[in-house]
Amino acid sequence: MSERIDREAVEQRRGRLTRIFADMVEHAQVQCLVRCPYRDRRDLCTARFGCRNQGPVDEVAGLPLCECDGKLDYRGAWEVEDPEAVLAQWRAESGVGIAEGSEVDPATSAPRPGSVACEGREGASLFELADDHQVRVDSSCGRMGSCHECIVEVLGGAECLEERGELEEFLPEGFRLACQARVSEAGEVAFAPLRRSAHVLIDRRESDVVPRPSVARRGEEVFRAGERIDSWRGRLIGLAVDVGTTTIATELVDLESGQSLCRGGFENPQRFGGSDVISRVAYDAKQAGQLHQSIINALNTEIISLCQQSGISRHTLYEIVVVGNSTMRELFFGLDIQTIGQRPYKSATEHEFLAGTRTGTELEAGTRQLGVIASSSGLVVSPPLVASHVGSDVAAGLVACDFDLGSGTRVYLDIGTNTEVVIATPERMVAASCPAGPAFEGGLVRHALPACDGAIDTLRAVGSGFAYTTLADADPLGICGSGLVDLLSELKRTGQMTRMGVFTAEGNRAQEVAVVDDPPITLSREDASQLAQAKAASFCGQFILLRMLGLDPGGVDHVDLAGGFASTIDIEAAIAIGFLAPFAVERVRRVGNAALDGARQLLLDVGRRERVERLVARIEHIELETTEDFFDVFTEACQFKPMQLG
Amino acid sequence: MADLADIPNEFIRAELDEFVERENERRELIGLYTASAPHLLEIAAAIIDGRNHDSDRLTLEALEGGTGALEIMDDGLIAGMALVGIKFRENFIFVPEVLACARAMKAGMVHIEPILSASGVEPLARVIMGTVKGDLHDIGKNLCIMLMRGAGFEVIDLGVDTSADEFIDAVEEHQASLVGMSALLTTTMPNMGHTIEAFIDADLRDDVKIMVGGAPVTPAFADEMGADAYGDNAVECVEVAKRLAGVVR
Repeated sequence: MSERIDREAVEQRRGRLTRIFADMVEHAQVQCLVRCPYRDRRDLCTARFGCRNQGPVDEVAGLPLCECDGKLDYRGAWEVEDPEAVLAQWRAESGVGIAEGSEVDPATSAPRPGSVACEGREGASLFELADDHQVRVDSSCGRMGSCHECIVEVLGGAECLEERGELEEFLPEGFRLACQARVSEAGEVAFAPLRRSAHVLIDRRESDVVPRPSVARRGEEVFRAGERIDSWRGRLIGLAVDVGTTTIATELVDLESGQSLCRGGFENPQRFGGSDVISRVAYDAKQAGQLHQSIINALNTEIISLCQQSGISRHTLYEIVVVGNSTMRELFFGLDIQTIGQRPYKSATEHEFLAGTRTGTELEAGTRQLGVIASSSGLVVSPPLVASHVGSDVAAGLVACDFDLGSGTRVYLDIGTNTEVVIATPERMVAASCPAGPAFEGGLVRHALPACDGAIDTLRAVGSGFAYTTLADADPLGICGSGLVDLLSELKRTGQMTRMGVFTAEGNRAQEVAVVDDPPITLSREDASQLAQAKAASFCGQFILLRMLGLDPGGVDHVDLAGGFASTIDIEAAIAIGFLAPFAVERVRRVGNAALDGARQLLLDVGRRERVERLVARIEHIELETTEDFFDVFTEACQFKPMQLG
Repeated sequence: MADLADIPNEFIRAELDEFVERENERRELIGLYTASAPHLLEIAAAIIDGRNHDSDRLTLEALEGGTGALEIMDDGLIAGMALVGIKFRENFIFVPEVLACARAMKAGMVHIEPILSASGVEPLARVIMGTVKGDLHDIGKNLCIMLMRGAGFEVIDLGVDTSADEFIDAVEEHQASLVGMSALLTTTMPNMGHTIEAFIDADLRDDVKIMVGGAPVTPAFADEMGADAYGDNAVECVEVAKRLAGVVR
């Protein structure tokens, strides 16, 4: 220990450390503009103080999840309503280090889980109480009572709440809308948000694609188009991504063997910008770049998790194929989407293509350029879009179904919030987009639910009532899309409802039909009218295109039904109410998430990329609203009866 | 030419391969790590992984084994921090992880400092730092402390929610010449002024220099409260501290 140390040598090292740290501080200052500094790499909150963005506590780490959506106002969330209470709690636990964002009020001793004191909060909604206690509750209607996303289960203290109002009548006993239920007297209320386990599509047709990827190994090196891009790292991996407005689906693929390694799915984080394409366009006009950043961040998290699950290095991820409707895709690439919101509803990419300033509508960017954490020499590519709102997801789906290789007459239908129809004859290929809206997915209809536990998914009229099944065999909470199609068809078949949606039963002025007595689940005339309009969009698309081509639906040779809703729908019931044209049932094939499947095929086989270009070039896009008798067709389409052509 | 495979530490090899993507930095770090002794790479790995107990133990073992203090700083502590800096810059880790790494580095430096002192290289000054009473925000203050320690200050961290009495007791106990106070809320900012008044009441105000910082604090407010200096960010904080300590003019 007799080392002689020179002052200058120490100064030199302090200088080096200072430079490293100064760079870090500079980066931290920039990063703090978009990311809360207390949020760690696992998205957990390390703050010792209360914050409204704190979500449920991660049991392993003992820290609350940060649910900040990336908006820049996180500092405002730090200023909790009652800093003294937070401080008192922190001091009491001093040394523990974390003031937890739990629902436990420090003033009450041994409270039940999820219970909160509501003294002094008379008139506040459960939503506001949830905010106070950093409990996350979803809403997409601005807390107006119409989106039904904020349903909470009241576990205790219901007597402290005001009576249920008109907007909540649809809910079974024990459930409330957090935005509507208000505190009427002091006490303790316990409530919990519904945990909705989304049913993500996992079924996929087996297809034997012979891998012909864009990257190849030669000896100890990796090449793309004759150019060396990396040294060999043991594998060549690709990722297929279907960016939906609501859900994103992913699949990791081995580019050499063609084998699928694992699949994932997550909710599109852009929901803070609205639930449909048009509101996202409007949001991006005000807060340009936020939606793009949120989807890139979410995909990066997904890449890390997929790579971990399959035990591979993300540096071997050389190619990503992204498909989506025109708005979702262009947002992913960070492009301006404003022109999609105005007639003729075309993206900037399509405008450039039509003006001749680009040769196609396919997109390509380096992973580094987009901030995607794959191989630094990786590429993100997206096949061309069809036209207007009909995007690269449809183009990919058509390839997956070999739409261009089939013979005879073919129909491709992708059913969702937006339904797309493509029809081909040996002579012509036409496509249209029909904005159906969310009525079959839990919106606008009182007892409608998205596909979640407790949703009635199939239903049949038996005697004077109904026999039904629910998802996860849970107690019935409402009805999801396939259940609604069954219900409408059964009401019609048994004569309880006319084709105009009028209920025929006597008494109660036939304003509604009881589906389940306890808890009461009903269908009102107004609900029937909403569903009529939603299915009418799908009807119009099929009707106008079939008529244009002079086709008899019964004579169509192949019908491919894509999309999550389509995989559970009863086809005969859908035909009976005019949701689907009267195709021959045995010629209808459910193809699941064809868009993702197509993206995977395009990833594995570059030959198919040329095919998809030729395919979209053949498709004529039809703007339905410009059809001369559109209004007459729509009026017809709103009726619950099989479609009649000619 | 040294190769990644020559680095005699599996963890560092994997970290470097995974997170360092720029060619020049890869070459530089591969050169640095291949030239380092395996037991010093263990220290660097502990810092990169934010394991402060390991960093503490391994540094002590290295010193007892006869490795020089400067070599440990170079090939263990600073070598680890260099990779942490790159991971942070590329958004693979965030501020909380960086602070955990800084804590691990400090755990090693604790054993190095006395050796530097014994050779006549004393810390620049002894500093008491804390977030004022009623305030639980500590990230900015922790970043300041990380930089101050790197620059050669000895820092006693009082944490968050620090009362005036705690500041005063710490100054007396440690014979510190500098005090740094942080506040993030407009509602707690006045507690800086109250603490300064308490120093006056305790007849200690002339014994220490007081610097302040935090988002709502302005130079004008710092002046009004009677602080000696104000720093806008962590880098400035170090410069201010050096000026107050008389290291630079």
